[in-house]
Amino acid sequence: MKALLIDDERLARNELRRLLAAHPGITVAGEAADADEARALVAALRPDLLFLDVQMPGDDGFALLESLEPPLPRVVFTTAYDEFAVKAFAFNALDYLLKPVDPARLAAALEKLAAPGGAGGAPADRPARLGPEDKVFVREGERCWFVELKAIRLLESEGNYTRLHFDDVQPQLFRSLNAMEERLDPRAFFRANRRQIINLAWVDRIEPWFSGGLLVHLKGGAKVELSRRQAQAFRDRMSL
Amino acid sequence: MDAPPSSLAFGVDPELRRRARERLYVGCQVAGWLFFLLLQLLFVQLFTASPNHGGTVAASGQAVAIGLLLTHVARRWILRWGWKELGWRALVPRILGMALALSAAWMVTTYGLYYGLLRNPWPQKYHPLAILSLALVNGTVLMAGWLCIYFFYHLFDRYNRLQIEQLRLLAAVKEAELRALKSQINPHFIFNALNSLRGLIDENPARARQAVTQLANLLRYSLQSGHLETVPFEDELNTVNDYLALEQVRHEDRLRVRLDVAPEALHCLVPPMLLQTLVENAVKYGIAPRREGGEIAVRAWCARDLLRLEVTNPGTLAANGGSTGVGLRNAGERLRLLFGDHATLQLREDPPGRIVAAVGVPLEAAAPERPAEARRPAPAMASRPV
Repeated sequence: MKALLIDDERLARNELRRLLAAHPGITVAGEAADADEARALVAALRPDLLFLDVQMPGDDGFALLESLEPPLPRVVFTTAYDEFAVKAFAFNALDYLLKPVDPARLAAALEKLAAPGGAGGAPADRPARLGPEDKVFVREGERCWFVELKAIRLLESEGNYTRLHFDDVQPQLFRSLNAMEERLDPRAFFRANRRQIINLAWVDRIEPWFSGGLLVHLKGGAKVELSRRQAQAFRDRMSL
Repeated sequence: MDAPPSSLAFGVDPELRRRARERLYVGCQVAGWLFFLLLQLLFVQLFTASPNHGGTVAASGQAVAIGLLLTHVARRWILRWGWKELGWRALVPRILGMALALSAAWMVTTYGLYYGLLRNPWPQKYHPLAILSLALVNGTVLMAGWLCIYFFYHLFDRYNRLQIEQLRLLAAVKEAELRALKSQINPHFIFNALNSLRGLIDENPARARQAVTQLANLLRYSLQSGHLETVPFEDELNTVNDYLALEQVRHEDRLRVRLDVAPEALHCLVPPMLLQTLVENAVKYGIAPRREGGEIAVRAWCARDLLRLEVTNPGTLAANGGSTGVGLRNAGERLRLLFGDHATLQLREDPPGRIVAAVGVPLEAAAPERPAEARRPAPAMASRPV
């Protein structure tokens, strides 16, 4: 696995590099001291794994993740002691390491990554379209998630943002709906109207609506209106 | 009308309390006077052979009604004149006086109403003066009794509230002590320092050893100075130097330090962790968020009867969290508690792009000290910044 070390402290990066030497499966492809350097390296090297310090000058770890184009590499956060961050991670079961890093904890985290089901595909053949297992990083206030696309029922446009509906939350993603549509697999996600994209796997039932349109009920309660034209496209899609 | 500040000691909305007390008062009045009326009627029934039962009931009813009204008015005056706050020495003559006045009023109105306005026949058996004096005395006793019940209730109420207030203060003090203790140690800094230190071990073992010592000094000072009111400035400065040395290990050339300390300032007494807090703030807001880092300047000198401290870091007031940051707020609180208005703490942007935290600590206010505790030997292994 190709890894990128992102931490503003040189010694912290050294430490991590030294610890990772004991894991031959992981190659440290590069180091970044801040979010800008990290963005450049992620684009150039397409790493499978990021070791990401939460607190950095300029953009912090979360802001960096929000700005990366999906699909995201796997991420292991590192933090010295940040009550908020630790809580957020525990809440979302995201993986994190406390500095100074305990070698045993590092080994456990790496083992979890080796398990199948991650978004760590070989960089060369990363598809242009995102699959249902690919994850998106989204943050709202004190909470953050790595959410699999298949868990997102509905995407709603709010200006330059998109509101994602999954589980019982609706955080905003700093990406426009159109930008999202370009990345989503059209076999799984359908543009229902100007403001909404629905996940076809979450369709509960459909009823006829005004002027030849349709009202789609999603599992979870949302109702989405389709115009007549979209309804036709929808029928075409569903009967495939 | 009668909600003193300590009503908040209950944690209950004062408006709700007031309404509950009104209800209690009305209930007691009605119940009490009704009881009195029943007693009266019973007494008349059992012990007097009055032919005019209906009239007696009416008369008693009137008397009770007037009594209730008079005591209600009396209560308003008590509140208006603020008698509830008086000690018993001032209260006793007032109670007696009011009881007499109320009784006189009571007598005049009831008798005037019954015999004068309604023209009931006067019982010929007794001399009017005898009846009236008896009525006056009885009335006074009764009214005095009413007033005593009223004041006793408030006495107990006040006592309860004071007890609750006292307990609440005790809890608040404990909580403040705990918070003060917790704020001495900055876990984020400690773990970052340990992490850097570990990285240093292979790269530069001598520096790593030095860093261990510096960290140990810092922790020791932090823990021990918690219960000292003041420490010699020299000790505080040594600690700050250790802290800055450790931060330089982490941030390397992003942190530059300039010290400018007048020799006479070293012997002054300051609250512990005051300069440390300012410097931590400076690193947190001035160095850590900047990719290029910057310079922190620490100046200390004596001017008139103040020890003046200034910590400067790059930044703007808005980005610095202003004077609402927790660290600065705590420092301000401690200065206020120790020195009142004689100490100053100020945050300003001067020149633009540089934040200055300026503190003035009075010199002579440090006089009454426990000499043995206040003068700890300066840490032997303290070192200057690398």
